[in-house]
Amino acid sequence: MKLKKYLALTRAGILESFQYRMAMLVMVAGNLLYLTVVYFFWKAVYASAGTSVVNGMTFSDTLIYLVLATALFNFMEMYTVWEIGRNIQSGKIVLDLLKPMRFRSFLFWSYSGSFVTQFFFTFLPTFIIVCIVTNGAVPLGINLLYFAVSVVMAVIINYAIDFMTGTICLYTESIWGINIMKQVIVLLLSGANIPIAFFPDTMKTIVGYLPFKSIYNTPLTILLEKNPDITVVAEALGIQLFWCIALLILSSLFWKVSLRKITVNGG
Amino acid sequence: MKRKNLRFYFRIYRKILAQDLKSKMSYRADFIISTIGMICTNIAGFISFWILFRSFPEVNGWSYHEILFLYGFSLVSLTPVQCFFDNNWSLRMYVYSGDFIKYCFRPINLFFYYQSEVFDVKGLGQFAFGIGTIIYSWSKIGLPLTFLMVIKMIIFLITASLIMIAVMNAAAATCFWITNSFYVMDLALKFKDYARYPITIFSPVFRFIFTFVMPIAFIAYYPSLVILRPDEIPLLSWLSPLFGCLFFWLSYKFWMYGAMKYSGTGS
Amino acid sequence: MSGIIEIKNISKEFKVLNRREGLKGSIRDLFSRDYKIVKAVDNISMSIPQGEIVGYLGPNGAGKSTTIKMMTGVLEPTSGEILVNGNIPYKDRTKNAQEIGVVFGQRSQLWWALPLIESFRLLKDIYQIPDDNYNSMISLYKSLVDIEDLLHKPVRQMSLGQRTLSDILAAFLHNPKIVFLDEPTIGLDVSMKSKIRTLIHALNKEKNTTVILTTHDMGDVDALCQRIVIIDKGKMLYDNDIEHLKGFFGSYRTLKVRPAGDIGKQAEELEKELKNLSVSITADDEWISILVNEEKSKVMEVLGTIQKTHDIRDMKLEEISTEEVIKKIYEEGVE
Repeated sequence: MKLKKYLALTRAGILESFQYRMAMLVMVAGNLLYLTVVYFFWKAVYASAGTSVVNGMTFSDTLIYLVLATALFNFMEMYTVWEIGRNIQSGKIVLDLLKPMRFRSFLFWSYSGSFVTQFFFTFLPTFIIVCIVTNGAVPLGINLLYFAVSVVMAVIINYAIDFMTGTICLYTESIWGINIMKQVIVLLLSGANIPIAFFPDTMKTIVGYLPFKSIYNTPLTILLEKNPDITVVAEALGIQLFWCIALLILSSLFWKVSLRKITVNGG
Repeated sequence: MKRKNLRFYFRIYRKILAQDLKSKMSYRADFIISTIGMICTNIAGFISFWILFRSFPEVNGWSYHEILFLYGFSLVSLTPVQCFFDNNWSLRMYVYSGDFIKYCFRPINLFFYYQSEVFDVKGLGQFAFGIGTIIYSWSKIGLPLTFLMVIKMIIFLITASLIMIAVMNAAAATCFWITNSFYVMDLALKFKDYARYPITIFSPVFRFIFTFVMPIAFIAYYPSLVILRPDEIPLLSWLSPLFGCLFFWLSYKFWMYGAMKYSGTGS
Repeated sequence: MSGIIEIKNISKEFKVLNRREGLKGSIRDLFSRDYKIVKAVDNISMSIPQGEIVGYLGPNGAGKSTTIKMMTGVLEPTSGEILVNGNIPYKDRTKNAQEIGVVFGQRSQLWWALPLIESFRLLKDIYQIPDDNYNSMISLYKSLVDIEDLLHKPVRQMSLGQRTLSDILAAFLHNPKIVFLDEPTIGLDVSMKSKIRTLIHALNKEKNTTVILTTHDMGDVDALCQRIVIIDKGKMLYDNDIEHLKGFFGSYRTLKVRPAGDIGKQAEELEKELKNLSVSITADDEWISILVNEEKSKVMEVLGTIQKTHDIRDMKLEEISTEEVIKKIYEEGVE
């Protein structure tokens, strides 16, 4: 069965991430510490602002947004660019291409195991803690469902962008340079570090035309909306879906064209 | 055998560095892309900073320009770790593949030999950004420009650099125990972003932690007080050069201990 | 007169994690771990005089690299004494490193992106080699191998053979008293192997350098080593010269036959036909080799049996080869 083949990769990924016990403890502890810093920083920022609502967001809104953005980041970051880049440099890419699966799917499903562990070990605990600490600031209702759908699409968009960036490594030797550029652009323009609500208007307009916003800002805004308006949510999800399909097609085409380069040059 | 004094090590460093630059030049595309990536990172940093302080003109009694000064200060103090200790980032890979052993057979200090191998020119871009920021904010705040001030500035920049180097050394050395230590380094790097803000925003417990356990408050805050708040300099600011040396020495010992403990096990 | 390397009863223990199986096992591993102690090296002693080439043999995982790491000062023995050139290696690693050269596995210690000559210059500075010694070493190299082309080629563009050659030259550059070579000929073609063996032999003669060689290729041993040390599962099995070792197997002969037709297929047939004569059979492109223990069955008898069913084109009789001796020792031990 086809799905079984993919799920085997997921299971192997889960097993592998369990081998790194210390790494996982460090990650959980580190995240907690990091979130504490975020908390104190924004508390001070809001305390100095004089008003409780800035750019339409209260302190607890901002905090929840940023905390969950960090959790989402840990959950979505797959270091795809590094993986592809290293495989290309070491020539291992040729072996990967021989596997009876499309390379793109192979990579995705290999990582899906760490999605599962990351979800249970970082995202879910963070989410529950946030819900308890903020005491009802996170609306629990139909928006959770919208959020789940939105996150799935965010993961796909993020992966497609990563995969395209990774493909660029076929043309240049610079993995670090390519990766850092991608990361900086994605984190800034997706609203992962600062909510897009804080952006000046011109930047908001520009960001609106780009796919990055769909990765962090869209799912988190949907989650935080207390009275979700179905048309607004549908529009946001629609835009996500559009980017999902567009980027998947684009990354697939780009990969195919680039692959011809490998097969011609012999890797 | 001749004694290996400081001059010997200085000469070796210069030679290895020259060779490293030569080999960098042989990967020109990588060099250019990485430099652009580094510049992007810095620009994105400024944009985030600007977006944030557009909405909040002051934080905890610190004006926009004062915080900008802290920001510039941290950029400059991060330069040495970027330029001279960048090989720490590869340590994990060398240890994982077992290639680390090749560093153990040379008749010179292991830590020195390992770190000398890479000089990262990209750091200089960051240095330029940092200096520019310091000069701009210096003039905006209207600080006096005296010889004594400049000397103080240089001493405290070196202090801050030592601390940052110590933090990264210690984070890198965890890979001798933890297989997946990338997370630790990534976390350490993330923390440096928060080192830019006044430590007074934290609760006393975290003030203690960031001063003595993870000494990031020494990266920008304590040293800058000497310049920015000459009337109320705490004892810790004056002691920070001492702490810089102490933390650096501790991190060196930790690194060496890990290296010697490890090199036997990897085959 | 004591040797350049003196090892007395050294042992090395490692703590190894027992991993549990499956997903459930992994989750349990997260919370409790269970370690066992493994003796990688178990009570080994040897004394190696200056200038000798010693073959250090053993199957994979026998403890060879662990011993070498202890001799180079990278690893501290759990118990026992070790003296290299009068130093205790792990107590004074850098001092010890000045007097040794290492080529470790397939890991090049040269600067990847640089031409070989630049690596040599760096090593000259690191080992503080005086100009005269450096120049005479380079001219010695030039007289031994054709390195003019190599000197200006970046290491990353070299073939595996060229890289190995360069690594060996780099290891001898500071004229160390001892050089450790870990599988120097692995993965190389026949002509490159012989080139490297000739080089090692010449450098050993010229500089009276002690060479400790680990290898799985008995061609290396035959070409270079007077003495071999064999260990398995951390324990010393044998330490003496090769001829002495072959003496243990004095009653063994190798009968080589070349039959008409497909060698592989006929070797399989012979395996069945000679089953009750207690022989062991291997085949290569040209010959089928049959190892006969004359105490159990006679060569003529074996030959007679073969002739009944096979058409033999050519044959020859040899003493047992080093390869076969080592194989027998790994399988059965020395008794």
